[in-house]
Amino acid sequence: MPDLATLTIAGPITTLTFNRPDAHNALSIAMLTDAHRCMDEVESLARSDSAPTVLVVTGAGRSFCAGMDLKEVIIEDDPTLPVQLLESLARLTHRIRLLPMVVVGRVNGAAIGGGCGLVTVCDLAITHADAKLGFPEVDLGLCPAVVAPWLVRKIGPGKARQVLLSGGLMSGATAFEFGIVSSTVETRDELDGAVRKLTNTLATGGREALGATKKLLNTLDGSNDLDILLEAAKLSASVLATEDAQNRLKARRK
Amino acid sequence: MIRTETIERDGRSIAVVLLDRPEKRNALTPDMLAALCTALEEAPKTHDAVVLAGEGKLFCAGFDLSLCKDDPSGETMRKLLTRLSRACTIMRRTEKPVVIAAHGAAIAGGCALLGGGDVVVSDIHAKLGYPVTKIGVSPAVSAPFLSYNVTTGTSREMLLVPELVSGEAAHAKSLVHELVDLREDVRDKAISIAANLADKPSHAYAATKSLLNQLEGTDDGEAFRLALDASLALTGGEEEQRLLAQLDL
Repeated sequence: MPDLATLTIAGPITTLTFNRPDAHNALSIAMLTDAHRCMDEVESLARSDSAPTVLVVTGAGRSFCAGMDLKEVIIEDDPTLPVQLLESLARLTHRIRLLPMVVVGRVNGAAIGGGCGLVTVCDLAITHADAKLGFPEVDLGLCPAVVAPWLVRKIGPGKARQVLLSGGLMSGATAFEFGIVSSTVETRDELDGAVRKLTNTLATGGREALGATKKLLNTLDGSNDLDILLEAAKLSASVLATEDAQNRLKARRK
Repeated sequence: MIRTETIERDGRSIAVVLLDRPEKRNALTPDMLAALCTALEEAPKTHDAVVLAGEGKLFCAGFDLSLCKDDPSGETMRKLLTRLSRACTIMRRTEKPVVIAAHGAAIAGGCALLGGGDVVVSDIHAKLGYPVTKIGVSPAVSAPFLSYNVTTGTSREMLLVPELVSGEAAHAKSLVHELVDLREDVRDKAISIAANLADKPSHAYAATKSLLNQLEGTDDGEAFRLALDASLALTGGEEEQRLLAQLDL
Protein backbone atom coordinates (compact mmCIF):
# COMPACT_ATOMS: atom_id res chain seq x y z
CA MET A 1 0.00 0.00 0.00
CA PRO A 2 1.41 3.45 -0.86
CA ASP A 3 2.15 5.96 1.92
CA LEU A 4 -1.01 7.91 2.63
CA ALA A 5 1.03 10.91 3.75
CA THR A 6 4.49 11.79 2.45
CA LEU A 7 7.31 14.14 3.28
CA THR A 8 9.48 15.97 0.73
CA ILE A 9 12.59 17.74 1.98
CA ALA A 10 14.07 20.58 -0.11
CA GLY A 11 16.60 22.69 1.83
CA PRO A 12 14.83 25.06 4.22
CA ILE A 13 11.37 24.04 2.96
CA THR A 14 9.80 20.68 3.81
CA THR A 15 6.41 19.57 2.46
CA LEU A 16 3.85 17.26 4.07
CA THR A 17 1.38 15.90 1.49
CA PHE A 18 -1.84 14.06 2.26
CA ASN A 19 -1.83 11.32 -0.33
CA ARG A 20 -5.25 9.79 -0.86
CA PRO A 21 -6.17 11.72 -3.99
CA ASP A 22 -8.88 9.25 -5.07
CA ALA A 23 -10.69 9.87 -1.78
CA HIS A 24 -10.06 13.65 -1.84
CA ASN A 25 -7.56 13.02 0.97
CA ALA A 26 -10.37 12.25 3.39
CA LEU A 27 -9.20 11.70 6.96
CA SER A 28 -8.99 7.97 7.64
CA ILE A 29 -7.27 6.37 10.59
CA ALA A 30 -4.66 4.91 8.24
CA MET A 31 -3.91 8.29 6.62
CA LEU A 32 -3.67 9.97 10.01
CA THR A 33 -1.29 7.24 11.19
CA ASP A 34 0.94 7.93 8.19
CA ALA A 35 0.72 11.68 8.85
CA HIS A 36 1.83 11.07 12.46
CA ARG A 37 4.77 9.05 11.12
CA CYS A 38 5.72 12.05 8.93
CA MET A 39 5.48 14.26 12.01
CA ASP A 40 7.96 11.98 13.84
CA GLU A 41 10.36 12.68 11.01
CA VAL A 42 9.69 16.45 10.93
CA GLU A 43 10.14 16.72 14.70
CA SER A 44 13.44 14.89 14.54
CA LEU A 45 14.56 17.07 11.59
CA ALA A 46 13.64 20.15 13.65
CA ARG A 47 16.16 19.08 16.30
CA SER A 48 18.95 18.56 13.76
CA ASP A 49 21.42 21.02 12.26
CA SER A 50 19.55 20.90 8.96
CA ALA A 51 16.23 21.92 10.50
CA PRO A 52 13.88 23.38 7.90
CA THR A 53 12.53 26.93 8.33
CA VAL A 54 9.17 26.23 6.74
CA LEU A 55 6.77 23.25 6.55
CA VAL A 56 4.23 23.34 3.71
CA VAL A 57 1.09 21.23 4.27
CA THR A 58 -0.88 20.25 1.18
CA GLY A 59 -3.01 17.57 -0.51
CA ALA A 60 -2.26 15.42 -3.55
CA GLY A 61 -4.63 15.83 -6.50
CA ARG A 62 -7.51 18.29 -6.74
CA SER A 63 -8.47 18.55 -3.06
CA PHE A 64 -6.67 19.63 0.10
CA CYS A 65 -8.68 17.41 2.46
CA ALA A 66 -12.38 16.62 2.28
CA GLY A 67 -12.85 15.94 6.00
CA MET A 68 -13.59 12.72 7.85
CA ASP A 69 -13.83 9.52 5.85
CA LEU A 70 -17.52 8.64 6.09
CA LYS A 71 -16.75 4.92 5.97
CA GLU A 72 -15.03 5.16 9.33
CA VAL A 73 -17.56 7.30 11.15
CA ILE A 74 -20.69 5.32 10.32
CA ILE A 75 -20.94 3.00 13.28
CA GLU A 76 -21.80 -0.49 12.17
CA ASP A 77 -19.12 -2.93 13.21
CA ASP A 78 -16.67 -1.10 15.38
CA PRO A 79 -18.07 1.79 17.46
CA THR A 80 -14.59 2.79 18.67
CA LEU A 81 -13.41 3.87 15.22
CA PRO A 82 -14.80 7.46 15.30
CA VAL A 83 -13.21 8.30 18.63
CA GLN A 84 -9.89 6.82 17.46
CA LEU A 85 -10.04 8.92 14.32
CA LEU A 86 -11.01 12.12 16.11
CA GLU A 87 -8.37 11.68 18.79
CA SER A 88 -5.72 11.03 16.17
CA LEU A 89 -6.79 14.20 14.32
CA ALA A 90 -6.74 16.20 17.57
CA ARG A 91 -3.21 15.02 18.32
CA LEU A 92 -2.06 15.73 14.76
CA THR A 93 -3.32 19.34 14.89
CA HIS A 94 -1.51 19.83 18.18
CA ARG A 95 1.75 18.39 16.82
CA ILE A 96 1.59 20.59 13.71
CA ARG A 97 1.00 23.71 15.80
CA LEU A 98 3.90 23.00 18.16
CA LEU A 99 6.50 22.61 15.41
CA PRO A 100 9.20 25.29 15.64
CA MET A 101 9.13 25.97 11.89
CA VAL A 102 6.53 28.21 10.24
CA VAL A 103 3.72 26.08 8.80
CA VAL A 104 2.11 27.19 5.54
CA GLY A 105 -1.08 25.57 4.22
CA ARG A 106 -1.06 25.19 0.44
CA VAL A 107 -4.81 24.80 0.10
CA ASN A 108 -4.96 23.41 -3.43
CA GLY A 109 -8.68 22.61 -3.37
CA ALA A 110 -11.56 21.56 -1.13
CA ALA A 111 -10.80 21.86 2.59
CA ILE A 112 -13.85 20.72 4.48
CA GLY A 113 -14.64 20.06 8.13
CA GLY A 114 -11.58 18.51 9.75
CA GLY A 115 -9.72 19.35 6.52
CA CYS A 116 -10.52 23.03 6.99
CA GLY A 117 -9.50 22.58 10.61
CA LEU A 118 -6.05 21.57 9.38
CA VAL A 119 -5.95 24.83 7.41
CA THR A 120 -6.64 26.88 10.55
CA VAL A 121 -3.87 25.10 12.46
CA CYS A 122 -1.30 26.33 9.94
CA ASP A 123 0.40 29.61 10.82
CA LEU A 124 -0.41 30.89 7.32
CA ALA A 125 -2.45 29.52 4.44
CA ILE A 126 -2.95 30.34 0.78
CA THR A 127 -5.78 29.17 -1.43
CA HIS A 128 -7.41 30.14 -4.72
CA ALA A 129 -10.66 32.07 -5.09
CA ASP A 130 -12.74 29.09 -6.29
CA ALA A 131 -11.62 26.53 -3.72
CA LYS A 132 -14.38 25.28 -1.41
CA LEU A 133 -13.70 25.66 2.29
CA GLY A 134 -15.81 25.45 5.38
CA PHE A 135 -17.29 23.61 8.31
CA PRO A 136 -20.59 21.92 7.31
CA GLU A 137 -20.60 19.78 10.48
CA VAL A 138 -23.81 21.21 11.97
CA ASP A 139 -25.65 20.51 8.68
CA LEU A 140 -24.76 16.83 9.12
CA GLY A 141 -25.83 16.71 12.75
CA LEU A 142 -22.19 16.81 13.90
CA CYS A 143 -20.20 19.09 16.19
CA PRO A 144 -16.94 20.62 14.86
CA ALA A 145 -15.40 20.39 18.31
CA VAL A 146 -11.77 19.54 17.45
CA VAL A 147 -11.43 22.42 14.98
CA ALA A 148 -13.30 24.99 17.09
CA PRO A 149 -10.37 26.01 19.36
CA TRP A 150 -8.15 26.51 16.29
CA LEU A 151 -10.73 28.57 14.43
CA VAL A 152 -11.33 30.77 17.49
CA ARG A 153 -7.57 31.39 17.73
CA LYS A 154 -7.41 32.17 14.03
CA ILE A 155 -10.33 34.55 13.47
CA GLY A 156 -11.60 35.44 16.96
CA PRO A 157 -14.62 34.11 18.88
CA GLY A 158 -17.26 36.35 17.25
CA LYS A 159 -16.54 35.30 13.69
CA ALA A 160 -15.88 31.68 14.69
CA ARG A 161 -19.38 31.53 16.18
CA GLN A 162 -20.84 32.79 12.90
CA VAL A 163 -18.86 30.34 10.77
CA LEU A 164 -19.34 27.19 12.88
CA LEU A 165 -23.02 27.70 13.69
CA SER A 166 -23.94 28.60 10.09
CA GLY A 167 -22.33 25.49 8.62
CA GLY A 168 -22.15 25.23 4.83
CA LEU A 169 -19.22 25.93 2.55
CA MET A 170 -17.62 29.14 1.30
CA SER A 171 -15.34 30.13 -1.56
CA GLY A 172 -11.63 30.72 -1.07
CA ALA A 173 -12.32 34.43 -1.54
CA THR A 174 -14.81 34.45 1.36
CA ALA A 175 -12.46 32.35 3.49
CA PHE A 176 -9.87 35.10 3.00
CA GLU A 177 -12.38 37.77 4.09
CA PHE A 178 -13.04 35.78 7.27
CA GLY A 179 -9.29 35.41 7.91
CA ILE A 180 -9.37 31.60 7.62
CA VAL A 181 -6.61 31.83 5.00
CA SER A 182 -4.02 34.60 4.98
CA SER A 183 -4.11 35.18 1.21
CA THR A 184 -5.79 34.04 -1.99
CA VAL A 185 -4.89 33.98 -5.66
CA GLU A 186 -7.38 34.20 -8.52
CA THR A 187 -6.82 30.81 -10.09
CA ARG A 188 -5.44 27.41 -9.11
CA ASP A 189 -2.55 27.93 -11.59
CA GLU A 190 -1.26 30.88 -9.59
CA LEU A 191 -1.13 28.97 -6.32
CA ASP A 192 2.36 27.51 -6.59
CA GLY A 193 3.90 30.88 -7.49
CA ALA A 194 2.28 32.51 -4.48
CA VAL A 195 3.34 29.69 -2.13
CA ARG A 196 6.92 29.87 -3.45
CA LYS A 197 7.05 33.63 -2.94
CA LEU A 198 5.77 33.33 0.63
CA THR A 199 8.02 30.43 1.62
CA ASN A 200 11.06 32.17 0.14
CA THR A 201 10.24 35.31 2.13
CA LEU A 202 9.83 33.23 5.28
CA ALA A 203 13.13 31.48 4.66
CA THR A 204 14.93 34.86 4.84
CA GLY A 205 13.98 34.94 8.52
CA GLY A 206 16.33 33.56 11.16
CA ARG A 207 15.24 30.06 12.16
CA GLU A 208 15.71 30.64 15.88
CA ALA A 209 13.98 34.03 15.76
CA LEU A 210 10.99 32.51 13.96
CA GLY A 211 10.88 29.55 16.34
CA ALA A 212 11.04 31.75 19.44
CA THR A 213 8.31 34.01 18.08
CA LYS A 214 6.03 31.09 17.26
CA LYS A 215 6.58 29.52 20.66
CA LEU A 216 5.54 32.74 22.39
CA LEU A 217 2.47 33.12 20.16
CA ASN A 218 1.48 29.56 21.03
CA THR A 219 1.79 30.35 24.72
CA LEU A 220 -0.23 33.56 24.45
CA ASP A 221 -3.12 32.07 22.47
CA GLY A 222 -3.40 28.80 24.41
CA SER A 223 -2.20 26.55 21.56
CA ASN A 224 -0.21 24.33 23.93
CA ASP A 225 -3.40 23.01 25.53
CA LEU A 226 -3.77 19.38 24.38
CA ASP A 227 -6.44 18.51 26.96
CA ILE A 228 -9.02 20.82 25.43
CA LEU A 229 -8.51 19.06 22.08
CA LEU A 230 -8.87 15.57 23.55
CA GLU A 231 -12.04 16.65 25.37
CA ALA A 232 -13.28 18.06 22.09
CA ALA A 233 -12.58 14.75 20.32
CA LYS A 234 -14.76 12.96 22.90
CA LEU A 235 -17.55 15.52 22.53
CA SER A 236 -17.42 15.26 18.76
CA ALA A 237 -17.52 11.45 18.95
CA SER A 238 -20.53 11.49 21.28
CA VAL A 239 -22.51 13.80 18.96
CA LEU A 240 -21.48 11.64 16.03
CA ALA A 241 -22.84 8.52 17.74
CA THR A 242 -26.39 9.91 18.04
CA GLU A 243 -29.04 8.25 15.91
CA ASP A 244 -29.78 11.47 14.07
CA ALA A 245 -26.16 11.98 13.06
CA GLN A 246 -25.76 8.35 12.02
CA ASN A 247 -28.91 8.51 9.85
CA ARG A 248 -27.72 11.70 8.17
CA LEU A 249 -24.28 10.24 7.50
CA LYS A 250 -25.78 7.06 6.01
CA ALA A 251 -28.08 9.10 3.78
CA ARG A 252 -25.08 11.09 2.61
CA ARG A 253 -23.07 7.99 1.76
CA LYS A 254 -25.78 6.78 -0.64
CA MET B 1 16.09 63.48 20.39
CA ILE B 2 12.76 63.39 22.23
CA ARG B 3 10.80 66.63 22.46
CA THR B 4 7.35 67.46 23.81
CA GLU B 5 5.31 70.25 22.19
CA THR B 6 2.07 71.55 23.63
CA ILE B 7 -0.77 72.16 21.18
CA GLU B 8 -4.05 73.78 22.20
CA ARG B 9 -6.94 72.33 20.20
CA ASP B 10 -10.65 72.90 20.88
CA GLY B 11 -9.86 74.10 24.38
CA ARG B 12 -7.84 70.99 25.22
CA SER B 13 -4.13 70.80 25.85
CA ILE B 14 -2.46 68.08 23.80
CA ALA B 15 1.11 66.90 24.46
CA VAL B 16 2.76 66.00 21.16
CA VAL B 17 5.70 63.78 22.09
CA LEU B 18 8.10 63.75 19.15
CA LEU B 19 10.72 61.28 18.01
CA ASP B 20 13.16 63.92 16.80
CA ARG B 21 16.04 62.37 14.94
CA PRO B 22 14.89 62.88 11.34
CA GLU B 23 18.39 62.58 9.85
CA LYS B 24 18.39 58.94 11.05
CA ARG B 25 14.73 58.31 10.19
CA ASN B 26 14.02 58.55 13.94
CA ALA B 27 15.94 55.32 14.54
CA LEU B 28 15.67 54.46 18.23
CA THR B 29 18.69 54.40 20.55
CA PRO B 30 18.62 53.18 24.17
CA ASP B 31 18.95 56.80 25.39
CA MET B 32 16.13 57.94 23.15
CA LEU B 33 13.82 55.23 24.47
CA ALA B 34 14.71 56.12 28.07
CA ALA B 35 13.85 59.76 27.31
CA LEU B 36 10.67 58.64 25.56
CA CYS B 37 9.57 56.68 28.64
CA THR B 38 10.11 59.76 30.83
CA ALA B 39 8.25 62.01 28.39
CA LEU B 40 5.34 59.55 28.20
CA GLU B 41 5.13 59.40 31.99
CA GLU B 42 5.26 63.19 32.41
CA ALA B 43 2.98 64.32 29.58
CA PRO B 44 -0.32 62.97 30.97
CA LYS B 45 0.30 64.76 34.29
CA THR B 46 0.18 68.17 32.62
CA HIS B 47 -1.94 67.60 29.50
CA ASP B 48 -5.38 66.28 28.57
CA ALA B 49 -4.12 63.82 25.95
CA VAL B 50 -0.92 62.54 24.34
CA VAL B 51 0.01 62.21 20.66
CA LEU B 52 3.16 60.28 19.78
CA ALA B 53 4.60 61.45 16.43
CA GLY B 54 7.84 61.57 14.49
CA GLU B 55 9.70 64.50 12.88
CA GLY B 56 10.72 64.35 9.21
CA LYS B 57 9.56 62.08 6.43
CA LEU B 58 8.48 59.10 8.49
CA PHE B 59 7.40 58.07 11.97
CA CYS B 60 10.17 55.62 12.89
CA ALA B 61 12.46 53.18 11.10
CA GLY B 62 13.02 50.99 14.17
CA PHE B 63 16.07 50.37 16.32
CA ASP B 64 19.37 52.01 15.39
CA LEU B 65 20.98 48.78 14.20
CA SER B 66 24.42 50.33 13.74
CA LEU B 67 24.64 50.44 17.55
CA CYS B 68 23.60 46.78 17.81
CA LYS B 69 26.12 45.76 15.17
CA ASP B 70 28.88 47.40 17.18
CA ASP B 71 27.90 45.55 20.35
CA PRO B 72 28.26 41.77 19.99
CA SER B 73 27.45 41.30 23.69
CA GLY B 74 23.80 41.97 22.85
CA GLU B 75 23.57 44.50 25.71
CA THR B 76 22.40 47.33 23.42
CA MET B 77 19.72 45.13 21.90
CA ARG B 78 18.59 44.10 25.39
CA LYS B 79 18.25 47.73 26.48
CA LEU B 80 16.34 48.60 23.32
CA LEU B 81 13.87 45.72 23.71
CA THR B 82 13.32 46.31 27.42
CA ARG B 83 12.76 50.04 27.05
CA LEU B 84 10.52 49.56 24.01
CA SER B 85 8.29 47.22 26.00
CA ARG B 86 8.26 49.74 28.86
CA ALA B 87 7.28 52.63 26.56
CA CYS B 88 4.32 50.64 25.19
CA THR B 89 3.23 49.62 28.69
CA ILE B 90 3.33 53.23 29.92
CA MET B 91 1.11 54.39 27.04
CA ARG B 92 -1.28 51.51 27.61
CA ARG B 93 -1.59 52.13 31.33
CA THR B 94 -1.96 55.90 31.35
CA GLU B 95 -5.54 57.00 32.00
CA LYS B 96 -5.39 59.77 29.41
CA PRO B 97 -6.03 59.23 25.68
CA VAL B 98 -2.95 58.22 23.64
CA VAL B 99 -2.99 58.58 19.85
CA ILE B 100 -0.14 57.46 17.58
CA ALA B 101 0.58 59.46 14.42
CA ALA B 102 2.39 56.85 12.29
CA HIS B 103 3.10 58.74 9.07
CA GLY B 104 5.20 57.41 6.19
CA ALA B 105 6.67 54.32 7.83
CA ALA B 106 6.62 52.49 11.15
CA ILE B 107 9.04 49.63 10.94
CA ALA B 108 10.04 46.95 13.46
CA GLY B 109 10.54 48.72 16.81
CA GLY B 110 8.75 51.71 15.27
CA CYS B 111 5.75 49.55 14.44
CA ALA B 112 5.88 48.06 17.94
CA LEU B 113 5.19 51.54 19.39
CA LEU B 114 1.78 51.45 17.70
CA GLY B 115 0.74 48.89 20.29
CA GLY B 116 0.67 51.56 22.98
CA GLY B 117 -1.98 53.71 21.37
CA ASP B 118 -5.72 53.85 22.01
CA VAL B 119 -5.99 55.00 18.39
CA VAL B 120 -3.44 54.66 15.58
CA VAL B 121 -3.52 57.03 12.59
CA SER B 122 -1.54 56.38 9.40
CA ASP B 123 -1.62 57.14 5.66
CA ILE B 124 -2.59 54.82 2.82
CA HIS B 125 0.93 54.55 1.38
CA ALA B 126 2.74 54.13 4.71
CA LYS B 127 4.88 51.02 5.21
CA LEU B 128 4.31 49.08 8.40
CA GLY B 129 5.50 45.78 9.81
CA TYR B 130 7.97 43.75 11.86
CA PRO B 131 10.54 42.21 9.46
CA VAL B 132 13.05 41.58 12.25
CA THR B 133 13.41 37.80 12.06
CA LYS B 134 15.63 38.65 9.05
CA ILE B 135 18.21 39.98 11.52
CA GLY B 136 17.73 37.12 13.96
CA VAL B 137 15.56 39.17 16.31
CA SER B 138 12.23 37.83 17.57
CA PRO B 139 9.37 40.37 17.42
CA ALA B 140 7.74 38.44 20.29
CA VAL B 141 7.97 41.58 22.44
CA SER B 142 5.21 43.13 20.29
CA ALA B 143 2.88 40.14 20.35
CA PRO B 144 0.66 41.05 23.34
CA PHE B 145 0.24 44.66 22.20
CA LEU B 146 -0.46 43.62 18.62
CA SER B 147 -3.01 41.01 19.63
CA TYR B 148 -5.10 43.68 21.39
CA ASN B 149 -5.71 45.28 18.01
CA VAL B 150 -5.87 42.40 15.56
CA THR B 151 -6.98 38.75 15.79
CA THR B 152 -4.39 36.30 17.04
CA GLY B 153 -4.40 34.83 13.50
CA THR B 154 -3.40 38.16 11.96
CA SER B 155 -0.89 38.76 14.72
CA ARG B 156 0.74 35.41 13.86
CA GLU B 157 0.89 36.38 10.19
CA MET B 158 2.34 39.84 10.82
CA LEU B 159 5.00 38.63 13.25
CA LEU B 160 6.12 35.54 11.30
CA VAL B 161 6.23 36.93 7.74
CA PRO B 162 9.21 39.30 7.55
CA GLU B 163 7.74 41.91 5.22
CA LEU B 164 6.01 45.30 5.29
CA VAL B 165 2.38 46.03 4.49
CA SER B 166 0.80 49.28 3.28
CA GLY B 167 -1.15 51.60 5.56
CA GLU B 168 -4.26 50.58 3.67
CA ALA B 169 -3.63 46.86 4.33
CA ALA B 170 -2.78 47.57 7.98
CA HIS B 171 -6.10 49.42 8.27
CA ALA B 172 -7.94 46.40 6.84
CA LYS B 173 -6.26 44.27 9.52
CA SER B 174 -7.24 46.81 12.25
CA LEU B 175 -3.63 47.57 13.18
CA VAL B 176 -4.37 51.11 11.98
CA HIS B 177 -7.70 52.63 13.05
CA GLU B 178 -7.83 55.88 11.08
CA LEU B 179 -6.44 56.35 7.61
CA VAL B 180 -5.68 59.55 5.69
CA ASP B 181 -4.50 59.93 2.08
CA LEU B 182 -1.38 62.02 2.68
CA ARG B 183 1.40 61.49 5.20
CA GLU B 184 1.51 65.28 5.80
CA ASP B 185 -2.01 65.08 7.25
CA VAL B 186 -1.43 62.28 9.75
CA ARG B 187 -0.27 64.37 12.70
CA ASP B 188 -3.07 66.90 12.42
CA LYS B 189 -5.64 64.13 12.24
CA ALA B 190 -4.10 62.49 15.32
CA ILE B 191 -4.27 65.78 17.25
CA SER B 192 -7.95 66.22 16.31
CA ILE B 193 -8.75 62.71 17.48
CA ALA B 194 -6.82 63.27 20.72
CA ALA B 195 -8.70 66.54 21.34
CA ASN B 196 -12.00 64.78 20.70
CA LEU B 197 -11.14 61.98 23.13
CA ALA B 198 -9.89 64.49 25.71
CA ASP B 199 -13.29 66.15 25.52
CA LYS B 200 -15.00 63.09 27.05
CA PRO B 201 -15.54 63.16 30.82
CA SER B 202 -12.08 62.16 32.03
CA HIS B 203 -13.26 59.83 34.80
CA ALA B 204 -15.40 57.87 32.33
CA TYR B 205 -12.53 57.63 29.83
CA ALA B 206 -10.13 56.51 32.57
CA ALA B 207 -12.53 53.94 34.02
CA THR B 208 -13.30 52.48 30.58
CA LYS B 209 -9.67 52.33 29.48
CA SER B 210 -8.72 50.72 32.76
CA LEU B 211 -11.47 48.09 32.41
CA LEU B 212 -10.34 47.28 28.86
CA ASN B 213 -6.78 46.93 30.15
CA GLN B 214 -8.01 44.52 32.80
CA LEU B 215 -9.92 42.45 30.24
CA GLU B 216 -6.89 42.29 27.95
CA GLY B 217 -4.51 41.48 30.76
CA THR B 218 -2.48 44.70 30.41
CA ASP B 219 -2.69 45.20 34.16
CA ASP B 220 -1.28 41.90 35.22
CA GLY B 221 1.76 42.27 32.98
CA GLU B 222 2.46 38.53 32.75
CA ALA B 223 2.02 38.48 28.96
CA PHE B 224 4.40 41.45 28.61
CA ARG B 225 7.04 39.69 30.69
CA LEU B 226 6.75 36.44 28.75
CA ALA B 227 6.91 38.29 25.44
CA LEU B 228 9.89 40.44 26.41
CA ASP B 229 11.74 37.40 27.79
CA ALA B 230 11.17 35.52 24.52
CA SER B 231 12.83 38.35 22.58
CA LEU B 232 15.61 38.86 25.15
CA ALA B 233 16.51 35.16 25.12
CA LEU B 234 18.02 35.47 21.63
CA THR B 235 20.04 38.67 22.11
CA GLY B 236 23.76 38.31 21.58
CA GLY B 237 23.19 34.82 20.14
CA GLU B 238 24.99 33.28 17.18
CA GLU B 239 22.12 33.69 14.71
CA GLU B 240 21.52 37.34 15.58
CA GLN B 241 25.22 38.18 15.33
CA ARG B 242 25.60 36.38 11.99
CA LEU B 243 22.55 38.05 10.42
CA LEU B 244 23.38 41.49 11.83
CA ALA B 245 26.91 41.22 10.45
CA GLN B 246 25.48 40.58 6.97
CA LEU B 247 23.39 43.72 7.22
CA ASP B 248 24.48 46.53 4.94
CA LEU B 249 23.84 49.76 6.85
